[in-house]
Amino acid sequence: MRTTRPIFNRRNLLGATAAGLAASSLGACATSGSDDDAEEVTVGDDAENPFGVDPAAPLDVVIFDGGFGNEYAVAHQAIYNEAFPDAEITHLATQAIAETQQPRFAEGKPADVLDNSGAQQIPMDSLVSDGELAELTPLLDAPSYDDPSVTVRDTLRDGVLTSGTFNGEVYALNYVFSAWTVWYDAKLFRDQGWTPPTTWEEMLALCPVIKEAGIAPWTYAGQHPVYLYDLLLILAGRHGGVEVIKAIDELEPDAWRNESVVKAAEALAALYTEGYILEGTPGIDHIQSQTAFNERKAAFIPCGSWLPNEQASIAPADFEYMPMGVPPFEGSVQPGLISAGGDEPFVVPKNATNLAGAYEYLRIMLSKEGAQIFGDTVQAATIVKGVELDNPAAKATDALVSNPDDLFQPQFRFWYTKMNEEVRPALGSLLSGESTAAEFIDRMQTVADETAADDTIEKFHHED
Amino acid sequence: MKHGRYPFILSFLALPVGLYAWLVILPFAQAFQISLTDWSGSSNSFDYIGFDNYVNLFKDERFVLPALRHTGIILVVLPVATIALGLFFAFMLNLGGRSRQGRIEGVAGSRFHKVVYFFPQVLSVAIVGILWKQVYAPENFGGLITGTLSAIGLPSPVNGFLADKRFVLAAVIGVLVWSAVGFYLVFFSSAMASIPRDIYEAAIIDGAGRFQMFFKITLPLLWDSVQTAWIYLSIVALDVFVLVYLMTPEQGGPDTASEVVGGVIWKYAFKHGEQAFASAIGVVLFFAALSLAVVSLRFGRREQIEY
Repeated sequence: MRTTRPIFNRRNLLGATAAGLAASSLGACATSGSDDDAEEVTVGDDAENPFGVDPAAPLDVVIFDGGFGNEYAVAHQAIYNEAFPDAEITHLATQAIAETQQPRFAEGKPADVLDNSGAQQIPMDSLVSDGELAELTPLLDAPSYDDPSVTVRDTLRDGVLTSGTFNGEVYALNYVFSAWTVWYDAKLFRDQGWTPPTTWEEMLALCPVIKEAGIAPWTYAGQHPVYLYDLLLILAGRHGGVEVIKAIDELEPDAWRNESVVKAAEALAALYTEGYILEGTPGIDHIQSQTAFNERKAAFIPCGSWLPNEQASIAPADFEYMPMGVPPFEGSVQPGLISAGGDEPFVVPKNATNLAGAYEYLRIMLSKEGAQIFGDTVQAATIVKGVELDNPAAKATDALVSNPDDLFQPQFRFWYTKMNEEVRPALGSLLSGESTAAEFIDRMQTVADETAADDTIEKFHHED
Repeated sequence: MKHGRYPFILSFLALPVGLYAWLVILPFAQAFQISLTDWSGSSNSFDYIGFDNYVNLFKDERFVLPALRHTGIILVVLPVATIALGLFFAFMLNLGGRSRQGRIEGVAGSRFHKVVYFFPQVLSVAIVGILWKQVYAPENFGGLITGTLSAIGLPSPVNGFLADKRFVLAAVIGVLVWSAVGFYLVFFSSAMASIPRDIYEAAIIDGAGRFQMFFKITLPLLWDSVQTAWIYLSIVALDVFVLVYLMTPEQGGPDTASEVVGGVIWKYAFKHGEQAFASAIGVVLFFAALSLAVVSLRFGRREQIEY
């Protein structure tokens, strides 16, 4: 009788599987992309093509398809193709930035230009600390698209590079210029005979009058308390000067216990205890709060300068969106301070295949024509100077941000994810009566101290 | 005949086993590997840091520990509540009615009820989440429950159920039970149908009430089904991510009051750029699920009854 010997018995089958697994998990896994030394882009003498773009090299552009859509990007790409007709452009418009792009970074094959925005943004702090992004100084030092004698940097508004600057190096071009303001309906105020308050005290005096008219003074996106971030910090910064909130970003000891910050926290908490917030607000999201505002159920809403465009087709026809700065306390040191600057970060990955093309694409975005295209399609300002916008809300916002010394964007929530995760719920509790101002301050000071003491977290600083 | 048998069998197995190894086992193995590194997820460089992630995980009062607590609560409450309700409804719909001329039937309209209870099962979980978000909304914003409570003069949370730390987890579990109960009603109904009627008839002749019939006959004979349901529901309980993501403020709030393990993995992996840490939580969850299945299969064993 012939004995058959099985090819695989139980033991060697397991062994073979384990060996195969070990080999493939080390070799073919998600974390094994090649890490070639990336080339660097330098600025050449040719003003037409300062980065030495290879005219035939394809360009890979990823656009966040959010409030601004992606029409403007298609138009920018047409300009690029005018200059380089042979370049094939891959255009992806998506909301799922992290889901689609993070694996490409991990593989070492990222897009050339990435609009890293929206709720699914890849955390900027981790991209920067991992060294995944190209520094943008060559772009800023290059001659501008329209006038070779002016550098790209000089065509930009003041202070707009701050939010993309990490420890003095520019890693993101925040393309859209936006400001955090408080909005009211000018028509409602006119009809009711209310004067828009210029100080916090005037605002408090107006609140009972607003309530008598059957309208709640304030509402906000209760489920996303981050909408209150700039309100609190600018209120504090106006009272005590910008240094007060800069100290918070710098994680200085007792920065949160500064009297201006405490005063601002107490003032916001009082809005709730006085009953000046639309009932149910902590339980609603940004859409519900904006709808309530459009329905004139509330008089004030804190939001960014994109709000009127976003609401243009939703708000009643006679609704007049008007912005004002956070009403400062009487005796404020810097009453004009406002959180304004670049938003919507465009980044160029360090391992981009067509690095020169990516810089050139950004240079086109920052050209007069490129910026005007954006302004015309979405009615929002870019960081390029001199874009014409013809709606009253945009003009009023422009007036609020006219003094460059008063522009400041509080940064800690972008620099330190841990603090971002703390400030949101802390603000939520503060304005829904669940915690007092003192508890809020303690909580934020604690997380700030923890962050400062944690050596594993890379620290960032303001330039001056 | 035996010659060539193994190549023949292997040729059938190669594809499914290969796919399974590639799509299931390999990612698991990789999660183990990644959990020992400091990989952020958006780079191709990382260092091995040993078991630091696992040590830090159990110190994370901010997300991980609350999430473990909440997932633990769901793991207990969801199966108990769903199975209890499922059994109760199934019993009432099949056997709970008055007995007419010795025949045992369900309560009136039981067929109609079965269909109605099953409805949530055909809705996608995304629709369920959005629907219930509105049901739980503040009264000012059209919340159904808060509105009803106020209408009959009872107190209700002014900001709705989901913005209230005390209620948000219960609210999420409520939706889970609501959407699961219909399926288990049908599941237990079909199991009950296989219990011979003469056992019940004999019990009725002996003077047993509905209570005794349920606890002395139905439940013991359904034990296998209950056990299966328990395991299914436990698996659901370990992953409540979608509802939490859709319904709760800041996807796990207010202030981590509804954070669950699945959601925390997602937050660390994609919002915080800490893939390695997220993988470590995933590995812990994997072992928790594994031991759960083993324990419930081992200790749930009872004698089989053949009819």
